Order: sequence, then C-alpha cells, then structure tokens
Amino acid sequence: MADTESLKRISLSFDRGTLLLKGLEHKDLPSIPGLSAWKWDVRVGAWRCDAIHYPPVRAALNNEFISSFLDDVPQPVPVYWPKVELPELRPEQTYALAAWREAGCRGQIIMPTGTGKTEVALAAMSEARIATLVVAPVRDLMYQWHRRILAAFDYDAGIVGDNLYNIKPITVTTYDSAYIHMDKMGAGFGLLIFDEEHHLPGKCRREAAILSAAGMRLGLTATLERSDGLHIDLDWLIGPVVYRMPFEKAKGSTLADFDVVRIPVALNVSEQAAYDQCSRVIRQFITSRRKDLPNYTWQDLCKESGEDPQARHAQKAYYFKQSIENRAAEKLRVLDDIFRLHNGQQILVFAGSNAMAIEVSKQFLVPTILSHTRKRERLAVLEDFAEGLFTVLVANRVLDEGVDVPEAKVAVVIGGQASTRQAKQRLGRVLRRSGNARATLYEVVCENTKEVERSRKRRRSDAYERTLHRRV
Amino acid sequence: MLTSEHSIVEFKAGQAISDRLTQSKHRHYMDYAEEMLSVYRSGIGQQRRSLHRQIETLFADEPDCPVRRIQAFCKLLDDVSIFQTDPSGKAARLRLQVFSKVAPLHPLVQQPDRLFEHDEKRIKAHLAEELGTVWEQIEQALYADVIAFQQLKKFEGYSGPSALLSRYNVAQLQACLYRAESMTVVVTDDLKTILRYAKLARLLHEIERLSSSKYRIVFSGPASVLRKTRRYGVNFAKFLPALLACRGWKMTAIVQTPWNTRAKLAVSDNDGFTSHLPSPQEFDSRLEENFACKFGQERDGWLLIREGDILYDHQRTFVPDFTFRHHDGTEVFLEIVGFWTSEYLAHRREVLRQFRQHRMLIAVPEKSLREGASIPERMLVYKTALKIGPLMKALETLRTRHTTSM
Repeated sequence: MADTESLKRISLSFDRGTLLLKGLEHKDLPSIPGLSAWKWDVRVGAWRCDAIHYPPVRAALNNEFISSFLDDVPQPVPVYWPKVELPELRPEQTYALAAWREAGCRGQIIMPTGTGKTEVALAAMSEARIATLVVAPVRDLMYQWHRRILAAFDYDAGIVGDNLYNIKPITVTTYDSAYIHMDKMGAGFGLLIFDEEHHLPGKCRREAAILSAAGMRLGLTATLERSDGLHIDLDWLIGPVVYRMPFEKAKGSTLADFDVVRIPVALNVSEQAAYDQCSRVIRQFITSRRKDLPNYTWQDLCKESGEDPQARHAQKAYYFKQSIENRAAEKLRVLDDIFRLHNGQQILVFAGSNAMAIEVSKQFLVPTILSHTRKRERLAVLEDFAEGLFTVLVANRVLDEGVDVPEAKVAVVIGGQASTRQAKQRLGRVLRRSGNARATLYEVVCENTKEVERSRKRRRSDAYERTLHRRV
Repeated sequence: MLTSEHSIVEFKAGQAISDRLTQSKHRHYMDYAEEMLSVYRSGIGQQRRSLHRQIETLFADEPDCPVRRIQAFCKLLDDVSIFQTDPSGKAARLRLQVFSKVAPLHPLVQQPDRLFEHDEKRIKAHLAEELGTVWEQIEQALYADVIAFQQLKKFEGYSGPSALLSRYNVAQLQACLYRAESMTVVVTDDLKTILRYAKLARLLHEIERLSSSKYRIVFSGPASVLRKTRRYGVNFAKFLPALLACRGWKMTAIVQTPWNTRAKLAVSDNDGFTSHLPSPQEFDSRLEENFACKFGQERDGWLLIREGDILYDHQRTFVPDFTFRHHDGTEVFLEIVGFWTSEYLAHRREVLRQFRQHRMLIAVPEKSLREGASIPERMLVYKTALKIGPLMKALETLRTRHTTSM
C-alpha cells in the first residue's frame, strides 16, 4: 500500500526558470489552470511550464490533490522590518498603493517622474514583508535603489549586476542581469518591482518576468507606451494598470514650473569647413550611386560599406559630422555663459558622449558621472552635489532616467539624440520640487544642422509647452 | 568571445553563414593579421583608443572589410591583452581632489571680469604648482581610468597570424550561435566528451540512436520546450570549442534571423574550424584525472579503463566516467559527480535506476547531499577527492554478489 502511495505522489519543483511537474497523468492535467502552458518534456520525463504560472498552479494542485501533492519549489523567505523610516504618503500615492493592493498585489502604477514612485514601492515592500527583487534599468538606478532601501529600512540590500552576484532577501538588480540570472534566482523572491517597467517587454528582457515564480509584482513608469506596442504584454508579465496619474496633473502641483530655452550655436570656421567637407563626401557618393540606382538609400550605403572603401568613407563622414555637432567648441563658450548666468545655482549638464562630458569636465574642472564611474566616486559626487559643494554635474546619458539628483533647478542639454521619452525623463530631473523656484532647461544646438531637427522633435512631447528662444 | 554587435552573418536561402576568412578568398588577410599583431606587440604603453585607430587605419583601403570585422579584430586582440587598470581608484581620487579644490572658485572663465575673476588657465597652473607638477600631467591622469584611455601593459598575443584568423572564424561562428534556438549534433565519435561538455555548458539533450555507433543529439535548455528562445545561445557558443575539438560529428543549429524568420547554420568536423581547446584525449575534468593517477592502471585485480562503453536505453544514454574490469570478467561502471544540484542528483539517480541491470557506482560530493539524506548502496560519498579504500570495498561487494548469484 505504502508503495502505491509514493508512486502516486505529485511533485512540483523549480528548474532553472521553469516548473517541473511529476507524477500527474495527462487526464488530470485539465484540472490545473493554463493547460496550454504545460508541455511534456521527454528529456526529463515530466510536465514543464514557465515559473510565472506558479501561484495559480500551486493553488490548484493544493486544491485537487491536497494529500499527495508535494511542493518542492523553494519559498521566498518572509522579511521583518524592525525599523521603517518612510515619509507619509501623499494622497495620490496612497490611492496608487491601495489600487495595487486591491488588484491582488499585481499591477502597474503610472506616475510622472518626480512624483514619488519610489516611495510607493518602498511602502509596498514594507507591507508585503517578503523577499523582494527590485529591477532597475541601469547601474546608477540600481545603486540608487540600494541607497533608498538603506535609508528606509536600514537594510544593506544584495546586488546582482555590475560584476556582483550577491543575493539577499532584498536584492537590487538591472534588467540585463535579471534576464541572465533569473533562472537561478526565480524562486527566491515573493515580490518583484520593475522600475521603469517599459524596459521589460523587450524580446529577451521579458524573460526576467516569465522565469520568476513571484506572486506579487509591481511595475512603475512615467511613460508606459513603447513605439513597438509591446507594452500591452505588461498586463500578463506584471498585471493590469491599476493607477495612472496624468502628466498635466503633476505639473505645477507636485512638480515645479519650468521654462525651456533653446540656444542656437554656430560651428566655428574650421568645424564648419570639416562639416561641409563631410557633407560633400556623403552627397557625392550618394549622387554617384543614384545615377545607377535611383532609390539608393542610407541603408544601402551601410550594407555596401563592407565591400566598398568609398561607401565606408561616406559612412565615416556621417559619424564624424555627428561628433563635430556634439563637440562644437561654441557649446563650451555657451556653457561658460550659462555658468555665469546661474552662478550659485545647481546645474546639470547632459553631454552627448563620454568624450564631450570629459571635455567639459576638463575645461571647467567639474565632476562627471559616466557609465563606468564606480560606486564610491558616484556616491561621493552625488552627495557633494546634493549638499551644494559641487554646483555643476556633467553626465553623458546615464542620468537619463529616474536617477535622483536633488534640487537641480537648471539643466543644460548640449548633445545627444533625444526621443520623447528621454525628453520627459530629462525634464523630470530639473523639475524636482523645491520651494517655488522655477526650473530652466537649456538646449544648446548647432544651427543649420541635424540637431535643430532633433530639438524640434524633442519639443513635440507634450511636456514642452512654451519654448523660449534666446540668443546668448 | 565576441558580442552580438560584432557578429556578421549572411542569411541566404534559409542558410545562415557566419563570416569566415578563407585561404582562397582572403589570402591577403595573413598580411593584415601580421600587421595587427605587430601594432599590439609594439603598442605597449599606448592607449586602447589609439590602438583601435591604428587597426582601423590598416584596413582603410581594403575593399573587402565591413566595419564589424575591424571591431571584432580589436575585441579579439584586446581579449589577449592586459591593459593598465586602476583598481585602487587613483584617477577617481585625483578627480575628487581637483574638483573639490576648484569648486569654491566656480565658474572658471575664459575671460575674467569684475564679477567672475577666476581665469581658467591661471587657476589650473596654480593648482598644478600646488600639486608639484604641470597642468598637462594632471589633465592626462585625470581620466586615465576610462576604458578608451587605458594603456596597454602586456600583449600575450596569438601564436601567429593564422592563429588570429582561426580564432576570428570560430568567434564569428560562436557569435552566430547567440541567435540559436536549438542545436542538433549527429555523432559517430567522441560522444562522451560531447555530452560531458554540453553538460558543463548547462544544456539539456534529447538523444536518438541512429545506428550502432551513430547518435543524434538535440541540445537545448529547460525553457526550450515551452517557447522558441535564444536564451541558451550563449551556452551553445560556450560549448562550440569543445565540439570543434572532437571528431566525427555534424552540427546544425536553428538560428533566428533579424526578420524573425528561421535559418539553418550547418557545420561539421570536416569544415576545418580549429578549436583553441586540446582534443578530447587530452582533456578531462581534474577530479577524474586525479583519481586515475591515484588508482594507477591496475589494482588488486581490477583494471581501470577510461572511455568505457556507452549505455543506451530509450531516451537515456549513460557514458560512465570509468569502467573497472576484474580478471574474472566482472565489469563495474563508475560515474563521478562533481558539483551538482540536488535536482541533478535526483535525475542521475533515476538514470542509474534505469541502468540498474549494469553494475554501477556513483560518487557524490558530500556537500551536495541534503542533511540526513539516506545514501543508497551504490553511492559513494566523498569530501574533496574520492578515496581508493571505500571504492575497492564497493567494487568487491558488487563482484562477490555477481559471482555468488551465478
């Protein structure tokens, strides 16, 4: 008797991001939700499905086969917070959190940058009291979460990413690391927090959500929509949108008022000469090609560059033109003016490239945050900037999203291709609430070049309403 | 290894063909390879960025050379180079020091006036003096830790120009495999090595016996039965050099194209790709190597045979690490398990059950067992290395049972 009992035992285990179900016959499978999710895996002789289905599967198996069901999936550990230091939530933050709770702790909260998404997430963590993984787009943001968790719970969270692999009940990571490591850590967390969740639905990155068994999921973003439309998949990867605060509501209330000032600069004589020379190289090449192939495009040129040095020269000329725009000497002079004009105020400078950021830093002897800036220096620079010891901070693009830079009232964009989302996020940087002071965003662009076009594109975003034009 | 950004693949009529430099079409690349190696050999002390520019310049007038190929060469050369890094954060400290000193003087201006009197050039000269040097030196050291500015310290290099070109060809093949959903290998020789290395690359397999010594193995990962995923592409790529070192195989991989269709990548041991790994006879896991040395060729009437038989039953194969043959004809198989998870051990035990008509032992590291786990009769538990004593005892137990039951 005992023997048949053990044979009939149904076991569920976690296998590298999937669930393995053993001891269940095919006819019994329909009693488990998501029948189509299960596949027979001949390699191991068991049923297999993605770990994301774990909560309903576990519930159904418990229901149907209570006595013979053995759940071998590792369970996330409960977390106890002896000391919680969170600011009281504002009304809209409270609504957001309540809506998420009501949706069964699965869902997305959409709030503009600077309206306290992180606080909502920290409040959710303090309520959930379960092992939690926070996924952020870049290292800077990952470290920022680390700091915020330290401040809120006095807890030194684990880090997966930036060449570290240190898993703790509360861990912070990046989307790329989550994709790589979720098959190993997918059963360890009960709550997943996806910061800037619009990064998740990418073809590969989504696996971070699929390979996890976590029952509670929270997605946060200011800008949900993706141009490829994949954001609709967040509904099943995370949960439905449970709260959405319109951008207009945020502006002027929780966010500071702001001006956008565009400053056109001209290339100097030698830059202009080099620029025109490059333009000529490209034009001549394309014209000569179009004699035979009237529909010859830039894509064709790129394709051809492998076989034809001429095409390669044209391609190189194009990139050189971009770098001339990015690094125009006149931009440095304009910066000089802006620094004088806003003396005593905190100023953020966004450069288009590492090279330009370093150039600015070397001329004005102001600190940079670049993608490879290490943790210690990053912390020191951000802290000294927050305290006003440094008045200027230069970044390439790493501060694009969500990184807290307290009390910067002036931002200068001197390069970089901005899309609508980037523009919004960048605006968010300077729109931090601090008294009644107005924020100003300067865009320094080369005249008569592609950059003007880009600036116009930036301003199509609903975030820019009035743009002042000013010559310095 | 290269990254996807270096990958050059041609998709033609359902076939994926990774970029490959050949004797017939690219003979002149031998000269380029030689020149590239000499750029790095004589480039000690130069910045990474400058080395890359020199490599780029070599190809300036080469009609047949995509930009990605140049970048790939730079990556492969960097892979065997050691650059001056700054682990203690010297540059970062210098930056904080300089910027903090200057912060109260902000802004530094080109043309000082009554309001803004801190002339950039004067302040910098003054600062350099204070630090006992000239400004140009400080400026050089300020961002010396940025990857592009790192200086070449040592170039280990490749054994010669053809080694660099071979490495390039294999690296492009590997990069193409990043796109792969699954990989099928038809094997006639070296089955054991192939399976072992697939295991080390954390791949799962499905196996089919085609004839007495010919097998078809489909490699993929856990989630592959659920959906088409490129998740295990890196695992395939890591596994490839081991496969290339083997004999008697044909591989086809299904890869995703950029247009979301599928293409086939086909390679065999006849294609002349050179692995940087030694051939299977020379490599084996250290654990086993140590054990074989300790045991010697023969001991107490037992002969040690490496590369034993392949046991095959339904979907399962079993290639034991060692076969022990006693003078009286008794054969016992031994499998040494290194560092595996409990799921893997459970799976292994199941395999053993399936092959229980054979006399078989499995050696398991103590730390991979759960506390208080019951140890089956045919399992040997070891701490750091398998001991000869307990093994001999187990061999004898199996042998005597065998002879008495006869």
